[in-house]
Amino acid sequence: MPEKQMPVKYIDRRTILAAVIILIIIPGTILFGVFFLKDRKYYFISLLILIYTMLPFMLVFEKRKPQARELIVVAVLAAIAVAGRAAFFMLPQFKPVVAVVIIAGVCFGGEAGFLVGAVAGFVSNFFFGQGPWTPWQMFCFGIIGFLAGILYKKGILKKTRLSLCIFGGLATFFIYGGIINIGSLLMFTSQLSWKALLAYYVSGFWFDIVHAVATVVFLYAISQPMLEKLDRIKIKYGLIETEEA
Amino acid sequence: MRDAFSDFHPVINFVYFTAVIMSGMFFLHPVLLGISAVSAFTYSVLLNGKRTVKFNVFCLVPMLLFMAVINPAFNHQGRTILFYLKNGNPVTLESILYGAAAAVMFVTVILWFSCYNAVMTSDKFIYLFGRIIPSLSLILSMVLRFVPRYRAQIKVISNAQKCIGRDVSQGNIIKRAQNGIRILSVMTTWALENAIETADSMKSRGYGLPKRTSFSIFCFDGRDKAALAAIIALIAVLLAGSAAGLNTIRFFPSISAARISFFSIGVFCAYLILCMLPVFINIAENIKWKYIKSRS
Amino acid sequence: MEIYKIKELSFSYPQKDKEALANINLNVERGEFVTVCGRSGCGKTTLLRHLKTVLTPYGKRSGKIYFMGELLEKLEQRVQASQIGYVLQSPDNQIVTDKVWHELAFGLESLGMDNKTIRLRVAEMASFFGIHTWFHKNVTELSGGQKQLLNLASVMAMQPSVLILDEPTSQLDPIAAMDFIETVKKINRELGTTIIMTEHRTEEIIPVTDRLVVMEEGCITADGSPESVGKKLSKEKHPMFFVMTSPMQIYAGVQNKLPCPVSVKDGRKWLDLIAGETEVKKENSRAAYGKSSENTAIEMKDVWFKYRKDMPDVIKGLSLKAGKGQLYCIVGGNGSGKTTALSLISGICRPYRGKILIGGKNTAKMNPEELFYNNLGVLPQNPQALFVKKTVEQDLYEMLSGLKLEKQEKESRIREVVELTELNDLLAMHPYDLSGGEQQKAALAKVLLRKPRILLLDEPTKGLDGCFKEKLAELLKGLTRQGAAVIAVSHDIEFCARHADVCAMFFDGSIITENTAKEFFAGNSFYTTAANRMARHICKNAVTVEDVIELCRKSKCRSNI
Repeated sequence: MPEKQMPVKYIDRRTILAAVIILIIIPGTILFGVFFLKDRKYYFISLLILIYTMLPFMLVFEKRKPQARELIVVAVLAAIAVAGRAAFFMLPQFKPVVAVVIIAGVCFGGEAGFLVGAVAGFVSNFFFGQGPWTPWQMFCFGIIGFLAGILYKKGILKKTRLSLCIFGGLATFFIYGGIINIGSLLMFTSQLSWKALLAYYVSGFWFDIVHAVATVVFLYAISQPMLEKLDRIKIKYGLIETEEA
Repeated sequence: MRDAFSDFHPVINFVYFTAVIMSGMFFLHPVLLGISAVSAFTYSVLLNGKRTVKFNVFCLVPMLLFMAVINPAFNHQGRTILFYLKNGNPVTLESILYGAAAAVMFVTVILWFSCYNAVMTSDKFIYLFGRIIPSLSLILSMVLRFVPRYRAQIKVISNAQKCIGRDVSQGNIIKRAQNGIRILSVMTTWALENAIETADSMKSRGYGLPKRTSFSIFCFDGRDKAALAAIIALIAVLLAGSAAGLNTIRFFPSISAARISFFSIGVFCAYLILCMLPVFINIAENIKWKYIKSRS
Repeated sequence: MEIYKIKELSFSYPQKDKEALANINLNVERGEFVTVCGRSGCGKTTLLRHLKTVLTPYGKRSGKIYFMGELLEKLEQRVQASQIGYVLQSPDNQIVTDKVWHELAFGLESLGMDNKTIRLRVAEMASFFGIHTWFHKNVTELSGGQKQLLNLASVMAMQPSVLILDEPTSQLDPIAAMDFIETVKKINRELGTTIIMTEHRTEEIIPVTDRLVVMEEGCITADGSPESVGKKLSKEKHPMFFVMTSPMQIYAGVQNKLPCPVSVKDGRKWLDLIAGETEVKKENSRAAYGKSSENTAIEMKDVWFKYRKDMPDVIKGLSLKAGKGQLYCIVGGNGSGKTTALSLISGICRPYRGKILIGGKNTAKMNPEELFYNNLGVLPQNPQALFVKKTVEQDLYEMLSGLKLEKQEKESRIREVVELTELNDLLAMHPYDLSGGEQQKAALAKVLLRKPRILLLDEPTKGLDGCFKEKLAELLKGLTRQGAAVIAVSHDIEFCARHADVCAMFFDGSIITENTAKEFFAGNSFYTTAANRMARHICKNAVTVEDVIELCRKSKCRSNI
């Protein structure tokens, strides 16, 4: 049963990496920023921290030399999310991306969820245009997918429609909306003030609400059939052989 | 017109854009900001033609004004108070200027990214990261392959569903939404089931064997070396200027910047050359062509 | 030297009692061109997949496979990856990356070759296959034939000693398919690569093959040169005989002691010997094809169409009339606008000039309810675009979900359609687990639930084997007998010649000629069936295999007298 033991090892490696980053590199970056970057510190510190959080996922994924079927699953789901985003181009903010990412996380675990989100965020901007928002979007989508995977594993998040919808709505509104707004504020201000942030949240409120509602609607409609399909695919690809054996 | 800078090696393209975007985001010094804004605008017009001018006028200018106005409403730092708002907060000259500078910076970055999108095509990106993150860059390549395919399939499914009376253009709003989601669902099944053969094709061609390499059709030649050396030298000058404090400007509580000296003029010139590099390359190529043609 | 040696190979899939492969013994010599044929589900694909370890399906297996004298499963993966090239069915699914050059290099990257070597190999392959003109393109811009050629080239770049192809041309149109088969033949002839291939397009493939292996129910029933296999099967009156080429089928239908002809060229010589001496009366007395306007089910009147205002016309003044109870086939080259014509009828596209009438009513004035219920049924080229649910049965019920019908009514209607399409055993299966032909049937059943009076089919025989084609024809004939009009767009000349009532030639945006199937093909000299090409120097009107056999018998009787 080599496949079953491996994930444990990976989690360990990831934890170590994460610990190193949290304890050494992030404080280092903050100190560097505060002393050297002056008034542009907030944006650069936050950007670097975003990248640090994404790096371990990527490195661990690369390190373990994923098999063809794992790549395929991530690529197909990310492509569905991107194609879905493109298909609903006429409705601003009404996108299925978060819904697909959450389903990916629930079905294939936190790592896959993160990758699907980050890749979807990145690639969709090849079609819609890269910009300073790219790393923020990648991070938000990715972290939502990761959380979905972790919470499902812990048993907090269930595969039921209600549970997914609640999580999806909250995650979209608070995590995606929350972080993206901070990102755009930091982009061009030198002082972090609560008032300015609040103004951003207020101005983005309706966008975030529509986005959250879209996620809930999509999760309500596609989560169950999609989970069924993915479960079928898991058997067909032989992704859960070890459990059968 | 074909952009000559795009024909350079992807490393050159990427280093250049990283440098100009990062410095564009970082330097609020009016001279540097101006250089960056003008260069970004020139290059984007060169790359994307008249479309950009329209976009600039109708999208970026209003955004610029909006952002310049909104900053003083929340930021009340600064010494030079111009007037007071109704809620008693002061509006200062410094915060207005800061808002303007930040807005120009934002617009400049957007313009730089529009150039980036035209020059750094996906295959260049995948080539650059193919060695560092091979699996992820393969995923990127696959997603870029799948997305247009899925969009075409959505069309096929939508037509097939239309012929049984179930398309997004048929029925009331709820019916339409249901049909749209049904199309997405059919597409998902189709995508997942057909991807099994893709996985087979990958395995069959030896994917998963240790020591995979990554192939590219790009060559790093003498011209690229020269360009890289030039870019690095210019960045070095810029960083030196930065370390000497020449590139920064303080807005609050009062505006102050380093004095203009020979060195600072040198730094500004270096920055101008760096930002304008693709434009210069294009002009040089053009002249060369005309010369060759006139001789033959 | 043997490249493959298969010894007593048996295999069964998990949870299935029946053996998919039963006691297979097969040796393949180096440099041979072997074609494996048999109806779908006979175990061809399963056998081929056993020839490369990474593609071998899970299940119970016994027996041994040797590759170049070594046990296949012991052979290193790296060697297998490069030495055994495998091309699968779908041109689209096999392509992994987004650029042509990257796809060509994919296998070589896996093998860990350096940039220089890959550059050389890729350049070689691109030149050999004529890919250099589209080397820098995105794969999305390629045609189906180009895609499959790219798949072949990217496998060949690894310089395999054996090339395995699993129905590589089933998704291609005839011209692209011929190109592909020619290329495979060229690889075999010029590079000496061993070819093992399965194919439904036997008319084209058997003449170029060295060796024919016929499979049935997981066993090999015949194995040898095409002539000897033809002779053997004809002697046994074997049902698998329909996979042979038309000359071979004709040969089998006529008693004679001459060697069996395989290609049309040989067939003509053979026919000269059998029937050449006797003059066959040219029958021109057939009643002229006329149109009656009373029974018209669908009519197009001077229809013009283009996709965008600034683009050239795709349909130019098309007029068409199909009667009730007719199987109306439209043939013609790629890009001539056939499929667009269908989408005009179904209302996906709208003409900018001209009218389309269904039962005398203008379709532009009909709402979708009226148009697609009890009136128009459309079977898309890819049946997978219709499947929504996880079993065939649920999928059929889904089709009726929007309608206000009693539960009993629904059940009886489904029972009726299921019986008609023989879906009974497949109801509990997932639509995607069905074979291509079965998917086609299930999709057709879905469409039939709406009780269409006019049925539009786009390439209905694409990827189907001969057996399924016959079944489909029978089904369609059943519908036309009940008065439905069936309009099919097809590349499949043999199918149209055998089963159509009326055939129309589509060229450059409109129909240039239209006639009953027999007259139509008798009037063409190139765009016609293999049997007709073989016999037309003696008798123009012999279009199908049966016609030619009849011709031979008649002439024989006469010469005997």
